Amino acid sequence: MMRPRWRKVFHDLINNLSRTLLVVFSIAVGVFSIGVIVGAYVIISNDMSQSYSSNHPANVELRTGPFDDSLVSTIQNVRGVNDAEGRTVLSLRARIKGTENWQTLNIIAIEDYSDININLLNIDEGTNQPNNKEAVIERKVLQDMQVKVGQTLELQLENGTIKELPVVGIVQDASTAAGDFIANPFVYITVNTLPYLNEEPLFNRLYVTLAENENDNTHLQTMLTVIRDKTEQSGVSVFHSRFAKTNEHPMASTVQAILGILLALGILILFLSSSLIANTLNALLNQHLRYIGIMKLVGASRNQVLQMYMVLILSFCLIALGIAVPLGGQGAYGLAAFIADQINFALMGYRIVPLALIVQIVVGLAVPLMAGFIPVLNGSKISVVRALSDNQMLEENKPEQVEIKKETFVEKISLRFTKLLSKRNIHIPRPLLISFRNTFRRKGRLILTLFTLTMAGAIFIAVFNVRVTLFDYLDGIADYFMADVTLDFDQPYRVKDITNRVMAIPGVADIEGWAYASAEAINLDESLAENITILAPPSDSTMVTPNLIAGRWLIPGDEKALALSEQIYEDFPDLQPGDKIRIKIYGKKEEWTVVGIFKFVPQEGTFAYGTYEYISKITHQNNRSFSYRIMLENHDKKNQKAMGVVIDDYFQNAGYNVDQVRTGDSTLKSASESLDILITFLLIMAILTAIVGSMGLTGTMGMNVLERTREIGVMRSIGAVDRAIMQTVIIEGMAIGGISWLMGAILSVPITYLLSDIVSLAVFESPIQVIFTTTGFLIWFLVVLILSALASLFPARNAASLTIREVLAYE
Amino acid sequence: MTNIFSSSIPAIEMQKVQKVFKNAAGTFHVLKGLDLQLAQGEFVSIVGKSGSGKSTLLNMITGIDHPTGGNVIVNGVNVHTMNESTRSLWRGNNLGIVFQFFQLLPMLTLQENVMLPMDFVNKYDFDERPKRAMELLTLVGLEKQAHKLPTTVSTGQQQCAAIARALATDPPVIAADEPTGNLDTKSSDVIISLFDHLVRSGKTIVMVTHDPSLTERTSRTVVISDGELINETVAKAFVNLSHHQLLDLTHNLENFNFAPGEAILTQDQSVEYLYLIVTGNVDISLRNPKGKRLIVTSLKPDQFFGEIELTGSGRSIANVTASAETPVSLVGIKREKFLEILASSQITEEAIQNVVRHRLEENRSARQKMNGGKP
Repeated sequence: MMRPRWRKVFHDLINNLSRTLLVVFSIAVGVFSIGVIVGAYVIISNDMSQSYSSNHPANVELRTGPFDDSLVSTIQNVRGVNDAEGRTVLSLRARIKGTENWQTLNIIAIEDYSDININLLNIDEGTNQPNNKEAVIERKVLQDMQVKVGQTLELQLENGTIKELPVVGIVQDASTAAGDFIANPFVYITVNTLPYLNEEPLFNRLYVTLAENENDNTHLQTMLTVIRDKTEQSGVSVFHSRFAKTNEHPMASTVQAILGILLALGILILFLSSSLIANTLNALLNQHLRYIGIMKLVGASRNQVLQMYMVLILSFCLIALGIAVPLGGQGAYGLAAFIADQINFALMGYRIVPLALIVQIVVGLAVPLMAGFIPVLNGSKISVVRALSDNQMLEENKPEQVEIKKETFVEKISLRFTKLLSKRNIHIPRPLLISFRNTFRRKGRLILTLFTLTMAGAIFIAVFNVRVTLFDYLDGIADYFMADVTLDFDQPYRVKDITNRVMAIPGVADIEGWAYASAEAINLDESLAENITILAPPSDSTMVTPNLIAGRWLIPGDEKALALSEQIYEDFPDLQPGDKIRIKIYGKKEEWTVVGIFKFVPQEGTFAYGTYEYISKITHQNNRSFSYRIMLENHDKKNQKAMGVVIDDYFQNAGYNVDQVRTGDSTLKSASESLDILITFLLIMAILTAIVGSMGLTGTMGMNVLERTREIGVMRSIGAVDRAIMQTVIIEGMAIGGISWLMGAILSVPITYLLSDIVSLAVFESPIQVIFTTTGFLIWFLVVLILSALASLFPARNAASLTIREVLAYE
Repeated sequence: MTNIFSSSIPAIEMQKVQKVFKNAAGTFHVLKGLDLQLAQGEFVSIVGKSGSGKSTLLNMITGIDHPTGGNVIVNGVNVHTMNESTRSLWRGNNLGIVFQFFQLLPMLTLQENVMLPMDFVNKYDFDERPKRAMELLTLVGLEKQAHKLPTTVSTGQQQCAAIARALATDPPVIAADEPTGNLDTKSSDVIISLFDHLVRSGKTIVMVTHDPSLTERTSRTVVISDGELINETVAKAFVNLSHHQLLDLTHNLENFNFAPGEAILTQDQSVEYLYLIVTGNVDISLRNPKGKRLIVTSLKPDQFFGEIELTGSGRSIANVTASAETPVSLVGIKREKFLEILASSQITEEAIQNVVRHRLEENRSARQKMNGGKP
């Protein structure tokens, strides 16, 4: 038979269900959050590299002129090479048969799908091995095109004819162009399908995996040089080359930032939830002091009381763990899957993360037991006489108190302030005074609640600041992409001709023909330092407003001159404007002058600007261009889109080979995509902390009301109507919210700097100028007031529903 | 401060008020169909043992507790037809409550505590409220403590402040639950003097107390026992009986009414009751052989007659008539019950014997006087 004292513990557990639920909920919130965060952290950091490396990503990739199997065999025989594959990548416009929406897709042709060993394709649906005249799409296609397996894609060839390919599968390609947000979505066909699309069955991409040291940068660099040289020796031009580690996803740095923030969030939530638990257990013990007195009266020792309540807390913990552990496991996988989907890699499957499980159990047991120990110890030490006195809950409200007390410091300040106001004939209504002064009565609880809400507020505000900081940075980048519409052709056309035609279209303000070139920066030892993409606007271009950090911009007459993006510092940290840099351009090694260095979002490789006049000359495209930048009279997005369609139709109908028409924001959209993931993630984090914060406030207000039922009864007895009672509680909650806002606003400044540094260092690899916005401060002000009002509403309704009979507890 | 209500309406009227509690152990009748009327300007104490239902009775008047049956009418308003919130507002305007444990809000100064009811019921101009609160605190002698918090003054001062708060909205009725129960004698005196002052200024005060020294200072005492009211006349007549005995007597009373001048008992008539006067005056007289009537004494409400006969010969030794001015209402205790009570309470028996001796002496003197000095 259960001993009476353990029966009391059991009774305490089940008799007051709402209180048990409040305590269990407080513990479960923390355990769940920690489970989600630790679980997601472990799953992502494991799976991202594992899933990436399990797809056998290429260590070396060359974009080349056309080649055939013989080059592939040559490279396969190079010492240190594990495998090599040739593929064809071409860009075509496509649409779902029967629809009008054209999208530019990268078509990848592979010779034998049954024998792929590099950049593997994971099946999402259907097959990953298309037959001739069939297509398999990469899942990214689905973002812009709702194509299903069984539907047919229509591809528009350079000559305008349309060819059909049925879609037989959807795959995930986590390796090809991983981390390259600007790349078009992929469609996979067989090499034998190429003639059907009027293309030669020749490769233009070479993918190579290495046999050893495939995660060593120096070795990778060396092998890249060897393979590039071998390729060029075979008479194949190399336009672009890159290397990548096997075990490191190109987006690892962004994900590292996310994981870092996740961990910070985990620690924060741990603190928040412990303060919530401490608050709740304190209130519980206050309610139980009388019973403790009775038990001591009938002979219970301090240790026995201590044991009973620690077992009660332990029971709360176990129930909370029972709820939070399985939910936390699901949540962890859900969050990991969300991030994986954003970054485009596959998880290794659902599983329980042992570390998360251990952390959950430790946190779920240790935090409440630690948080509850001091109140339990104090409670167990209470004297019988005090425990049994009429109202032992509130020291300051002890009605039978005989001893005259002195005012506390806070009381003195508050009284002086009210006196000062009343001397100036400003009288605060008493119900309002009750709310304000109640706010400071339970100082320990107030501090814990304020801590929670302040942290939530500071993070919330900081997220908005960081968001503005990042977008301001991107806006600066947008100055390099000022055109409203970009018109690309499959072949160069005379600038004068295109200019005349475009300017004749109503609504067009200006047009510029730009040239492009690819080059490679070369180290003194002749090894490749960096790929350089050269954009060449006319030297008097009005469509670039560079953000120079050194030197000057290009001027008419500049020859063999480049303005380089700051990424060049990674390979040439001491580069100064006026210095010469050795580059390989169109097969020739030359020395060009660096005239200036500008700020830019990090891309794979370095961006550079040259003058159209010079670049078009060396590419033998004088007065002609593939790519045109068009400025409209009206820059809004809707007009850009409409004009894009008009311009596209115009040139299609006039018989020009249009490759693609992009609206102005599309380039920026791609560039900001990785930031969007981070911003969304930060916002989710801010909202989570806000929810935990407001839960803390609800708990605090609930406990305050519980402890002040007697005072509420007194207010009722002297004329307070429901509304007046509710107002006192809600205004108190809002006062706490207001104070937390003020503290959060101050704390948000260092957190903004910290968060901005974490994100910019992870993504841009350099700190960026922090911008503050009032938006976050204002939104949080409203949010925290609404949250505090809502958090107080339930306790306030409870307070108003109490009858005086209940709260004054006569006879 | 004057009472705005006409004295014809009772300040408080309870009609068949019942309160029943049910729990696992059974049903408990805390109030068993009480009828009670308190007039305007009365200072009434409610006494009773612990658990007798006196605080429940007060809670019925203040609207803090709900009756299971019956009506409670305060200043013409049926208190329990309102919802909780409306009743709060009504209470703020019409009833001042003084609690045993003062129940001042600890976060407000004494002056702010006094202003709070005015804020809640929105009485007096906002700017006038501090002035009025100070006036009330001055009335209770706390003007110098006005800006202090309750915890920084003595308990007596806290109760004075609670009384000032009860007066804040100038309610016609003050209900006090053991207002001196937690105070020393000196502080209790201050409080009761304050109540006296308030009653003189027209307030009706109803107070629950354990303290017999306080009941002496009230104009009326209502005794409650086991959820029933003890007949007030019986309670006053037999101060030495236990509440249980008084209640027993109350259950065994019979009512008698007489017109002014009407005979109640005639000399030598057989007497079966002890009569207690509820209202009106009663003349005790003797007739000489010539038929001349000599009034021996006049008895007032709460006095009794018939005890000589019941403890003696059983025949009336004098004539008893209702006075000529007012009708008379009596309650009677049957001989057997009366003797049973005397047998069970020696102290009461002794008190009755003293009365008998005294009255017999009076009777004898009167007869002598009537007979020209002969015994």
